[in-house]
Formats: sequence, structure tokens, C-alpha cells
Amino acid sequence: MSAVATAGTARPTRRKRDYSKLAVRLGAFAGFAAIALYFAATARGFVSPYNLTNIVEQSTILGLLAFGMTLVFAGTGTDVQKGGIDLSLAANAGLCAAVYAVLLRNGYGSAIAIPAAILTGMAIGALNGVAVVLFKIMPLLATLAVLNIAEGLELTLTENTVVPVSSPLIDMLAFGRFLGLSSLTWIFVVATIVLVAIAHYSRIGLRLYAVGGHKEAARAAGINNGAYVYGAYIAAGGLAGLTSILIVARLSSSTPGTGQMLLPVLAAALLGTVFSRRLIPTIGGTCLAALFIGTLANGFQLLGISSYWVSGVQGALILVVVAVTSFAKK
Amino acid sequence: MHTAFKITLAAALALMAGGAMAEEGNVPSLKGKTVGVTVIGTDHHWDLQAYQGQIDELKKLGAEVIALDAGRNDQTQVSQIQTLIAQHPDAIIQQLGNIEVLAPWLKRIRQADIPLFTVDTATPEAITNTTSDNYSIGAQLALQMVKDMRGEGKVAVFNGFYSVPVCKIRYDQLKYVLQSFPRIEIIEPELRDVIPNTVQSAYSDVNDVLNQYGPDSGLKAVWACWDVPMIGATQAIADAGRKDVKTYGVDGSPEFVEMVADPKSPAGAVAAQQPYKIGQTAAQTVARFLNGDEVPPFNFIPAVLVTKENAGETAAPFLPKDGKTGDKAEGASDKTEGKAEGKAAAQ
Repeated sequence: MSAVATAGTARPTRRKRDYSKLAVRLGAFAGFAAIALYFAATARGFVSPYNLTNIVEQSTILGLLAFGMTLVFAGTGTDVQKGGIDLSLAANAGLCAAVYAVLLRNGYGSAIAIPAAILTGMAIGALNGVAVVLFKIMPLLATLAVLNIAEGLELTLTENTVVPVSSPLIDMLAFGRFLGLSSLTWIFVVATIVLVAIAHYSRIGLRLYAVGGHKEAARAAGINNGAYVYGAYIAAGGLAGLTSILIVARLSSSTPGTGQMLLPVLAAALLGTVFSRRLIPTIGGTCLAALFIGTLANGFQLLGISSYWVSGVQGALILVVVAVTSFAKK
Repeated sequence: MHTAFKITLAAALALMAGGAMAEEGNVPSLKGKTVGVTVIGTDHHWDLQAYQGQIDELKKLGAEVIALDAGRNDQTQVSQIQTLIAQHPDAIIQQLGNIEVLAPWLKRIRQADIPLFTVDTATPEAITNTTSDNYSIGAQLALQMVKDMRGEGKVAVFNGFYSVPVCKIRYDQLKYVLQSFPRIEIIEPELRDVIPNTVQSAYSDVNDVLNQYGPDSGLKAVWACWDVPMIGATQAIADAGRKDVKTYGVDGSPEFVEMVADPKSPAGAVAAQQPYKIGQTAAQTVARFLNGDEVPPFNFIPAVLVTKENAGETAAPFLPKDGKTGDKAEGASDKTEGKAEGKAAAQ
């Protein structure tokens, strides 16, 4: 981080580093633009307004979960290679979706099912916090273990079957439109604005980045680091809970396999760093990255390229992004 | 090959070939038309054969094909359907998947005025559903099981995919048949077949059941609405050295047909389908519809119940052949035999 660099002697290196960061960032934007232009030229129906809003709608669930991952990155180490991570996030969303669907099926209304889903997500987030902060387990292992717990609980609840549900709220979320845009699109837009405000303009958000950016400096400034790490995991869990409602709405049911979203979520949160000025995880960057991945998936579909390639490309993106950002930061 | 056997085999094939293939010459062209194909996954023999049958036939008829495989991910399939609607093809064929997830999206396809055809998905939104006669398959398989059990005993049932319409039909038929045989008891709780890791998971589930229900327990059968879990179940029974338990499934995956045909294997019976031809017929139905012809609400493609007793005559077309499966290899006989399945099925 920049705080490590001492003034004076480091200036030439710092400038060089700034240029390489700028190059990475411009490269990322140019890459996004180039791919979008390529799809516009080759894929039938890509630029139709209906399809463009589809892309945003199809990126919403991915984007919201990736926001959760971004908060964890921000609070546990903005250098993603050395900091924290939440591998349980997608499985947590799956568990919350199961809680929500099973409660609705058993006759409880949304007024109980929605808070229950969000609280479940936060509880799983708190469990991550306990493992990482209290037991000081390496985040990679701690959240991997919690992933298994969440998956196990989901399977227990649903017995690995599809739990169909219907409610007026679900219909509104899945198929409602307002001013020409779908409910999911609006939720993505509003969530992005709210989270940008919290993460980048509020006191809590700035302190979260301080904790993640330089633990010792934050502690010296009187910040309770542990509380912010807990907060990041719990907030991510809460987002997983919130997103689970959208997942259930989109699929009209809770289905097994939500945990498969881990790779795209990680890819979006990591890719988001190359859209930011200092190559750190930001809400705006992650939003762009989620749209980028949504665009890729959509363009591949339109061109008739197998969806299996999308996961391959996501894996490759993770490698490239991590390699490029760590190189540019040196 | 023995002449009598040759004749029987030819007769069996002729019976199975009684499909719409005979009308192949009359199928109108799809030149200038775009057809979207959306499928939940192609990781099993049946799925891949049916998917390939559609694509091959659509291309043969001159259509431009947008084929989308969701890789067993419901969210991906929903996005793919949404994207397909945006492209507004001349028709969409949808294959398999969870009906609860799909129902609202299939409705949206119709709302967008795109003709919808399905493979193995019974839905009021589809103009034609091309499939096997699952009512008959379910009853025949259940009756064969009852026969082998001599009308009494316990059966372990996999019921993880009741949300998939064909599985619902087969399961309901099993229950209906068993109503007449009250001495046969389904073990509770039922087992859950899963995707992925179907074979491994079924192996360990059945292993547990065998431990719990020993040789004196009356356990005589394991049933699933498809045959991939039965591959694992059969292996578990064979590895446990049990001779008293047999397995029953549907589809005709070459590995399972091979087990049924093997006199030493505990595999009891399989309703073997013709997925490639199901796919082809779905494509031909689209061509007929877009040409303005009348099409039936469903096409039933014949299936064959392969049992331990008749495997010598029936199994051959479904066994693995030089890396290819019987379903496709048997296509040659289709051209010479058969009658109009589509019309027959509509009766």
C-alpha cells in the first residue's frame, strides 16, 4: 500500500508505479469497451435495448454477492493476495434461499421469511468473523469450513430438492417493471448507490478501508480493527441473505447449486480492482466488473459459444487480474 | 449371428423405428429460419443424445440454430431463455429441467409470441412435447419390478427429481401400480438422487440401505426415475454380494443396459428410450409447424423394456458400440421401417 512508501527516496518508483496502475486501469476499460464493441458487431441482438437491460438484470445477483466479497476484501486487506476472503458467500446465499423458501412453503409470510433469510446470512457471516478474528484461522481455510457448514445446512433443509414458492412479492421482483426497467435492475442501481455512499463516503466505510489497508496504522489511530472485520463479514452475509430473496424470485424456487456462483463472484470482486484508481476493491469497480462478466456471458450466449467457456474465462480473468495488479503494485 | 435371433432383432428395431422418421422425406425445409434450443445440461447420455438429435436435424433442415446448454445451472438456463427471447427466433425448443423454475419463463416465451416446443417437459405452454410415453414406461417398469419381487417385499426409491415432469409421471405410475400390491412397501424416508456425482452418491446411499436392510429384511428392489443412479446402486449391491436385491431405472444409458444384459449383475430392468430420435422428431415438428402444418400436442417415441429375460433380443441396439451408442447406430433401420408416429401419438 502507498502508506508503506516513504516520501523522498520513493518518489521515482512511486511515479513509475502510478503510471503502471494507470496503464492497467486504462487497459481494463479498453478491454471492456473492445469486447462490448466486438459483441455489438458480431452478436445478433446484442445492442437492442431489451438485451442491454437484460445484461444488467442478469448481472444483479452476481453484482450484489460480489459487493459482499468487496466489503470483505476492503476490511481484511485491500491487497487481495494477503488479506481476507469469504469463500462461503455463495453457499451462504444458497442457505438463505433455502431458509426463505422453506419458511414460505410452511405458511410463514414474507414478513417472517425475509428477515429470517437475512439474519441467517448475517449469522453465517458472524461465524466467519469468529473463525477469522477470534480463532485467528487463515481466512481461506476458515471460510472454506464455513462454506461446508452452509452447504450442509442447505441440504438438510431442502433435502437437495427444488422448493417451489410463490408470493406477490416474488412475482413483483421477478417480472415487475418500473419506468421500463425491471425490478432487479432497479435493485442493482439502488444497492450500488447506497453501498458506494457507505463504503466510500461514510466514516464507517473509510475506517473499514483504513483497517484493510494498514492494520497497524488503523490500530494506532484508535480503531477497533476486529470489530470492522466482524462487520465486513456480517455485512457480506447480510447481502447474501438479501440476494437470496432475488435468487428465489428469479427461479420461483430455491434450487440446489447456488454455491456454484462462488467463481463468478470471486472473479467479479477481483476484476473490480482493475477498474479502480489505486487497484483496490471498490464498489464502483465491482459493479463494472459484474457488468463485464454479465456482458461476456450474454455475448457468448448470443454467439452460441458454450456456457462452459464462461467459467473458463472467469478463471483466466482471476489469474490475469491478480498477476497484473500485483505486478503493477510492485 | 443366428438367423432366428436376427429376425427377432430386426422385428424389435422395426417396432422401435415406428417413428416420424418415416416421414423424413416430407419434412419441410427450415431455410431462413432461426431456432433456439435451450437445455438444462448435456452431462448424461440421454440429454446429450436428445440435444444432438435436435441440433443435427435442425441443421439438416437448413435452420440457423442457437443452441444453449445451461451446464446444469438453473440461473444460467433462466438467463439463457431471457436472452433467447431477446433474439426472437422463429421457434424455441426447450429440453428437460425443473418445471417450477421454468414455468414462468416458458410463459414469457409464449407472451413474446415465439412458438415453444419441448422435449420431455409437459407444460401447457408448449405446442408439442416430444418425449417417450412415460405413463406406459412408468407402469411397465413398476409391473416388471412387482413381478420380480413376486408381489411382496420392500423397495428403496430415489425421488430427488419430482420437479422434473417426466420423473413425476414415472414416480406417480409406480405409486399407482403399487396401490394394487399392498404387500410391497416403499422404504421411508425415500432416497434423494442428485446431480452431479449421481453415481457415487447413489452408491453410498444404497450401501447404507443394504447395511440397514439385511438379507432377511425383505428388501428386494431399488428404483429410480432414470438409470444413472442405478449404475451406482447396482455396483453397491454387487459389491455387497447381495443376490436378493435388483435395480430398476429408465433411459437406456449404455452402461446400465449392459448391466441388465449381464446375467450375473443385479440390474433388473430398464426402460430404454431413443433420445436421439426424440430430438430429431422435435426438430421435424418445428419444421412442420412453421410450414403451416397441423402438429399434435405430443409425440411419443417408442421405448423398450429391457429385462433380464428378454435382454438377449432387446438390449443390442442400446449397448455401447465403438464409442457410439445404439440409439444413433440404429438410425439406419429407421429409413426403411415404421409409420407416422406423430399422428399415432395424437390419438
